[in-house]
This record gives sequence, C-alpha cells and structure tokens, in this order.
Amino acid sequence: MSWFPLRRRDRHDRESAEELASYIDHETDLNIERGMSPEDARAAAFHKLGNPTRIREEMYEMFSVDWLEGWWRDLRQGARSLRRSRTFTLTAAVTLALGIGANTAVFSVSDAVLLRPLPFPQPERLVQVVVHFKTQGRESHQVSHAGRAWEVLREGITTADLVACKMGAGGVNLATGAGAEYVRQQRVGAGFFRILGVPPLIGREFTGEEDRPGGPPVAVLSHSLWRRRFSSDPAIVGRSILLKGEPHTVVGVMPESFQSTANADLWTPIRPSAEGEGGGMNYSIIGRLRDGVTWAAANGQLAQVGSSLLTKANTADSRAEFRFLSLQDGLTQDTRRPILLLLGTVGIVLLICCVNLAGLLLARCAARSREMATRLALGGGRSHVFRQMIAESLLLAALGGALGLALGTLGTIGLSHIARQTYDIWQPVSLDLRVLCATAGVALLTSLVFGLAPAMYASRTDIREALAGGASRASTAGRHWPGRLLVVAEISLSVILLAAAGLLIRTFAHLNTISPGFDGSGVLTASLSLDDARYHDAARVVQFYRDALGRLSGTPGIEFAAAGLTLPDETALNTAFRLPDSPRFREQWLTSNVIYVTPEYFRVLRIRLLRGREFRDSDTAESQPVTIVNESFVRRYLGDSEPLGRRIDGKTEVVGVVADVRHASNWGNFGPLAPAPAMYVPAAQMEGEALKLFHTWFSPSLLVRSSAPSAVTMQALRDAVAKVDPELPVASFRTLDEIRARTLVRQRMQAVLLAVMAALALLLSGVGLYGLVAHSVVERTREFGIRMALGATKGRVLSSVIASGMTPAICGVLLGAVLARAAARLLSTMIWGIPPGDPLTFAGVVTLLLLVAAVASSVPALKVLGLDPARVLRLD
Amino acid sequence: MGKRRDGDLLLGTLDLLVLRTLALGPAHGHTIAHAIENGSEGVLEVEHGSLYPALYRLEEKGWIASYWGVSENNRKAKYYRLTPAGRKQLVKETNRWDRLAQAVNRILRPASTE
Repeated sequence: MSWFPLRRRDRHDRESAEELASYIDHETDLNIERGMSPEDARAAAFHKLGNPTRIREEMYEMFSVDWLEGWWRDLRQGARSLRRSRTFTLTAAVTLALGIGANTAVFSVSDAVLLRPLPFPQPERLVQVVVHFKTQGRESHQVSHAGRAWEVLREGITTADLVACKMGAGGVNLATGAGAEYVRQQRVGAGFFRILGVPPLIGREFTGEEDRPGGPPVAVLSHSLWRRRFSSDPAIVGRSILLKGEPHTVVGVMPESFQSTANADLWTPIRPSAEGEGGGMNYSIIGRLRDGVTWAAANGQLAQVGSSLLTKANTADSRAEFRFLSLQDGLTQDTRRPILLLLGTVGIVLLICCVNLAGLLLARCAARSREMATRLALGGGRSHVFRQMIAESLLLAALGGALGLALGTLGTIGLSHIARQTYDIWQPVSLDLRVLCATAGVALLTSLVFGLAPAMYASRTDIREALAGGASRASTAGRHWPGRLLVVAEISLSVILLAAAGLLIRTFAHLNTISPGFDGSGVLTASLSLDDARYHDAARVVQFYRDALGRLSGTPGIEFAAAGLTLPDETALNTAFRLPDSPRFREQWLTSNVIYVTPEYFRVLRIRLLRGREFRDSDTAESQPVTIVNESFVRRYLGDSEPLGRRIDGKTEVVGVVADVRHASNWGNFGPLAPAPAMYVPAAQMEGEALKLFHTWFSPSLLVRSSAPSAVTMQALRDAVAKVDPELPVASFRTLDEIRARTLVRQRMQAVLLAVMAALALLLSGVGLYGLVAHSVVERTREFGIRMALGATKGRVLSSVIASGMTPAICGVLLGAVLARAAARLLSTMIWGIPPGDPLTFAGVVTLLLLVAAVASSVPALKVLGLDPARVLRLD
Repeated sequence: MGKRRDGDLLLGTLDLLVLRTLALGPAHGHTIAHAIENGSEGVLEVEHGSLYPALYRLEEKGWIASYWGVSENNRKAKYYRLTPAGRKQLVKETNRWDRLAQAVNRILRPASTE
C-alpha cells in the first residue's frame, strides 16, 4: 500500500486542528466581548465546541482513502496492542498453534492411512469377500476362507471378477549370481493384477494354467526388485530365476507406481485348492464388481451362493452370511478404530484450544474494560473500538495459523514416521492444506466470536461506572460465570483425554509386564526361510537343524542353541485337534497354538519345566509322537486330571508341562499379547507335508543363549548357517525385546499419541485456569485492599482466591470423570488386562488434574500476599 | 454521555442548514455555527464541533469549497463558499424538505390544515 494517502491525511489532520483552534479563538473573542474573563472565555469556548479529539477522529476517518486503509491502520494498532501484552499474545498464539498443528498432522496422516481412496482405477468397485457373523447382537467379520469356499464362489458368482490371494507377504529365498537374498513374496491368484486394474509394465500376469496345483513355477517381479537385482533388464521376461530353491520363470514385471495389498518384492501363483493349505481358512478373496452390477445385486447373489457353505454356522443364536466389503474397508479394518480414536482425540484438543482461547479473550477484554471506557470517554468512536478488536482477533488468528502451519509440518513428518512402522500406508503422506485451512478457520471463528462478543459489550460499557472502578466494585462473582464455565468445560474434556490415555498406557504397561514366562536377556535369534524346494523333505530340515545347532553348540560363549517355528511374543501357528480321551471335549474340535522346537528351546529361553520331561534327541520320526503343553493348555483342555500321558488326537502323548509364555494369537480373544494354550512338538517328529505348509507361512528361527557380545554371536549364527547351507540367507537377527516391541508397536503408538494429546489438554487447561485466577486477582485488587483494610487476614483473602479457581476445577474433574467412565466403553476393545473403569487410572487422572489445578490457581493467587491495602486504596 | 451527534438531527438537516447559510455568502466555521444556532431560534441547538465533520463531508461531495483567509477579528480562518453544484443541491434539498414538511404536517394536523 502506498504511503501517499496517509501523508495526505496527516496534512488534513493538521489543517483540521488549526481550523478547530481558529473556532476556539473566535468564540473566546466573542465571550470576552460579552464580559467574561479570558480564562472563563476560553473554557466556555471549549465547552461550546465539544470534544476536539472526537471531532478530529471523526474527520480523520473521513479522510481514510478506502476501507482497506482503515483496516491497515487498525491492524497496526492491533499489532501494537498485542505487542504490549506479550504474555497474553504468546499464550493465545501457542494455544491456537497447538490446535491447528495437531489437527493438521493427525488428519494428514489419517487421510493417507485410512481415508483417501486406494491407488487403483475405480477403487470403489473393488471388494473383499467376508463372512459376516451376528452372534447375540455382536457383529464380526471373518476375512479368511477355505479352499472349498473359494471353489464354490468361483463357480457361482457372476456379478464380480474374483481372485483368491494372500493379503500379506512372506519371506522366501532368492538366489542370483550375486548371492542368496531373503525377499518378500506375495502369493496371488490368476487375475489379481487385472482385478486391481494395473497391468504389468512388461510381460503378463499369471494364467489359469499356472495358478492351479502342480502348475509350472512362475513369478512376477516388482519394479524395485527388477531394478536392484536384475539391472532393469527388459529381457528378464521368459528367463529363469532360482526362487525357493527351484527355477521359476519370470513372466512379468510390475510398474514402479504399483502398490499391492502388501509390501512385496515379487508375486507367485497361490494355486488354491480344497486340499492341504485350502483345508483351513487360509485364503483371502478379493474382486471387482462387473460393470453395471449394483452392490445390492452383487451382495444378494453372494449371500445366496455362499449360503450352502454356512449351514453349520447358522444356529439359533448366530447368523452368518457371505458379504462384499469394499476393499478399502477390508484393508483398513484394523486401523479404522485406532485412527478414528486419534481423530476424535485431536478434535477434543482443538475444542479445548478454542475454549482456552475464548477464556483468554474474555479475560483480556474484561481487564481492558477500563481502557475501553477511557478511550470512549476521550471521544474514540464506538465503531473504531469495535474494529480494532476485530483486527486484534484477526492478527492473533494469523499468528496462530502461521505457528500452526510450522507445527503441523513438523508433526506430519514425525507422525508419518511413526505411522509407517505401524500401518500400511496407501498413499504418500502430505501436509493437508484443506485441514490446515479448516482448523485455522475454526480458530479464526473462535477468536472472532470471543473477541467480538466482549467487544460489543465493551462498546456499550457504561463509561462512568467503568471509570469509577465499577468493574472492581461490582460483585465479580456474577460476572465471571462465562469464564468459569469455560474452565469447567476444558477441564472435563481434559479428564476424558487423560483417562483414555491412562487406560491405554496401563494396557501397554500390562502387556509389557505380563509375566513373560521366559528370560530373553542374552538371547539372539536368526530367522530364515525354509519355504524352499531343498527343504520340502522333513529329513532335510531335521538334518539342517542338527548340523547348524551342532556347530553353534561348539562355539565358545554359546551356552544353548535351539530352533523353533515361532518365538515368544510372536504370532504363533494355530491348529485344530481332538481330545478323544476327554469326557468333556470328546466331540469337539479344539484350537491351540502349535510350535515345533528342538530339545534345547526351553533352556535357551529359560522356560520352566513344571512336570514331566523335556524333549530329547531320541524323540524322532520313528519313536512315539510326544508333545509338551503349557499351563494354559492344561487349564483349558485337560482340567484337573493328570496331564501327563494324555493323548492328543488319540496318538500324541503329553510328556511334559511347561510354564506359560506370552504369544500373539490370532484366534480366541486373548488380547494382543497373552498366554494362550500351546503345544510344543519336536521338530524331528514333524511330517513333511505339514512342514512344507508351515514354512510357507512362517520363517522359523535359530536361537542361542550366549555370554559373548552380540556382534560375535551374530557372526557365529551367520557362519553356522553359511557353513551348512551357503545358499540360505539369514532374514534378520533379532533380540526378544525387539520382537516384543514389534508385536506391540500399535499399542505403543496409540498410548504415546493419546498421551501426547492428553498432555496438551492438561497444559492447556492449566493455562486456562491460571488465566482465570490471575485475571480475577487483577480485577479484585481493590476489593482485596478494602477487605484487608477492614481486617481480613491475607490468608483468608488468599484462600478465597484459590477457591475461586478450585471450584470450577473440581466441578470439571467430577463432570469429566463421569463422562470419561462412559467414554471408556468405546475403548473396551483396546483395553487389556485392566477393567475400563480401572480405579488406579481414574484416581491418578483425578489427582493429577487437581494437582495441576491447585498449582495453576495458587501461583497467581500468591500475588495477593504482596498487596499493600493502603496503596491499593489510594490508586483510584 | 448526553452528547448529541449530527446523526441525531434529522438526517440531512444539518447539511441543508449549512448550504442555506452559505447561500448568503462565504463564511468560516464559527460564523456558520452561530448563524445556524440563531436562525433556528435555539431549537436546533447543535454542539458546534459537530459542524466540522459535516463541512468536510460537503466539501468531499463538491457542494462547497474552502480557502484560508483572515476574519473580521483579524484572525486566520478557513472560509467556505457554495459551489454551483452546491447551489443546485440546495434547491433540490429545499424542495424535498418542503414536500416532506407538508406531508408531515398533513398527517399530524389534518384538522387545522382543512
């Protein structure tokens, strides 16, 4: 904006000053003529003219060249005024920035994880087949299907193009000239890429011939693997690569932009069948609705075709039905609730920010009522005062918005980093400007509403009353109710967030400290893929373990060495079995985790043997099949009778009982990490077909207990594997702490994020309460002076001030506790090991908030101690 | 507060009175203020200060023009005079005012005008 109009206006202003002076001179002359003394004459002239300041101000405004310029002036004035009250400005701006920043970051990440459509053509037509259960009012989905179900749906469904696949990827060995490498393989059926709508960059996808049991071994490569291991050689198609110990023909390469449902390096045909793997629920089924087919029609046909598969599942109190779920809903099933929770909490934080801001503005306005009254008394136009308040609000919002943008950018980077370890992210995470604008808009609205309402009030201020100290004389209790209500509101919101965070933190702590049942210190593990043609024979697997463990046992520093299909804290394989010798369970199929191990497994992990014996080298394929079960298994299935000597499936003899260890189980309702019934079986007694199947799902681990430094132990593990099988790469080295951290990464993320939100809420409500009390101290200084002069002790005045802060705080805490108790029910699926009304959490939250409230009300109240009644009373 | 602002006068009345006063010849603010006060026989008692914003507004509209001169008291003063546009406006406003006044009179005192 040019400065020229401002100069012109200043000239005008000087001119009008002269003109008014001229009037005064003429009127004074006239009055002297009438016989007044010069002094009286001049005073009378001023009286006749009226207030020169106001007149000049009025004219000054008329000179304003345009609307914009008036605003420019108001903004500058507002900036000056904000600079004068630095504490207020800083608090308000930081409050705004926290609200805007947190919301922008959380929404940006949620958008990428949950909300944005999948990166495929026409993503809204993509579906996943689920079985929908409704049992006693509780609904659930089953996403995996048996081979038989796939065959029925493949034959019967015409409304959608369907394919069986694994939604996740598993590890396999890829051998090239450069050595063996552990890569991630996703097994998908013919048509998988067609259905997703992404054709291969070169070559083709699998044919029906290749996707049936016994079909030729083929693979499709990801762009990154093709570039990394095959130097982007376009002639790769048709060539053979050594995958899983077997030559596979490469038939295609996917484009760089393609993202599958899992993070995969290559794809191989899943070859679905009703036998083997297909005997259990091991397939996902996805598809694309055919053109012109409605969801209702597709669902109708699916329910009808699938009904024959569910005759057993449909009972008097349970309904089961095949349904199409949108693929997006299917893929985000596990992330939906935590992300929605996060969005909800960040929304509450924004609400608290707005409440806090409102409180700050109200307090500031009340504190300024005297300033306002003075300006009005000096002739400042009401519209002027009004406009300046708006200008201040705008400036505040702009400042908060800018800080919020910075915070939001940092937050988005940090949060997406955390989220990447936890969730599948479908889209690149980018700062969401829409959200930034939306939250900034909410903040602006708040600051306008709460900056303006008091401004209107101020512009109606009764000047005489305000100037005479009416604000401090009038009963303040009645006038503070909006501020107090705001404090009650923000404290109760904080209680809700703190309680939620507390429950999740307690859950996380519980999961981390559930008696582990093993000792992981000094243990290092190396996982490897035995999903390999060379290990399809059980004898080869046993031989490999014997040779590798033999080498490790001879290594200095290594006390014990063992192998196991899965480790504690990992998701374990589960299987169905029968107990024909149990009167209670004779007729039922039962479920248990199953882990094959070598004899020293329990010693490496120091899992206590409670009864019977450990496995021995003499437990072989030729000897009596044996198993060792854990305490949970005994409790759940064997009852009080003697467990030793019982027979699983009528043949496998229970020879020992070991202590429970934590597992992640994907059956039952044990929580993310808890002891679950488990059977340990000797690796040497596994059958070839079962081993082959288990190894397509799990990469087993070698594990050693060693007193040597971990680098030395790692080298020993690497050497032992390389000596026994140079073609076999080690997938990863992990400690048991790392495994647990990996399993609990979601719980940790949820607890951490909620704790951050709750801490923000606590800080904000502390600031809000502090503001309320500090403001009332300033306002009631005069009242305190009078009371002290009349004999009230400082202690009494002090306690009345503290009480003015604690009363709304206590109301807020009580209200919040009631609301939080109700809200805890929403969290019930995320809480483990503690009741939703956990007394410790609630007591802790209440104590913490009361403590913060006490500090926030005491600190400003202490000012009262420095009051000198005599001085206070002289002030006015 | 008890202060009357020009908006409290019937809208446009002050403008009309100023134009009417200047129709008799150029005058400075002090003179105009007293002329209006006297001319209305004290009925329209105006705080003299509120005259000045009105003068500026009229000048902005081009109905009056100003120049600095020396007054009868030998003091520096800002004089205002009517421009041709202002004269036209005065006629227009006077006619409008007459019509309005007649209308109001007819409504208020129908008996006395019959």
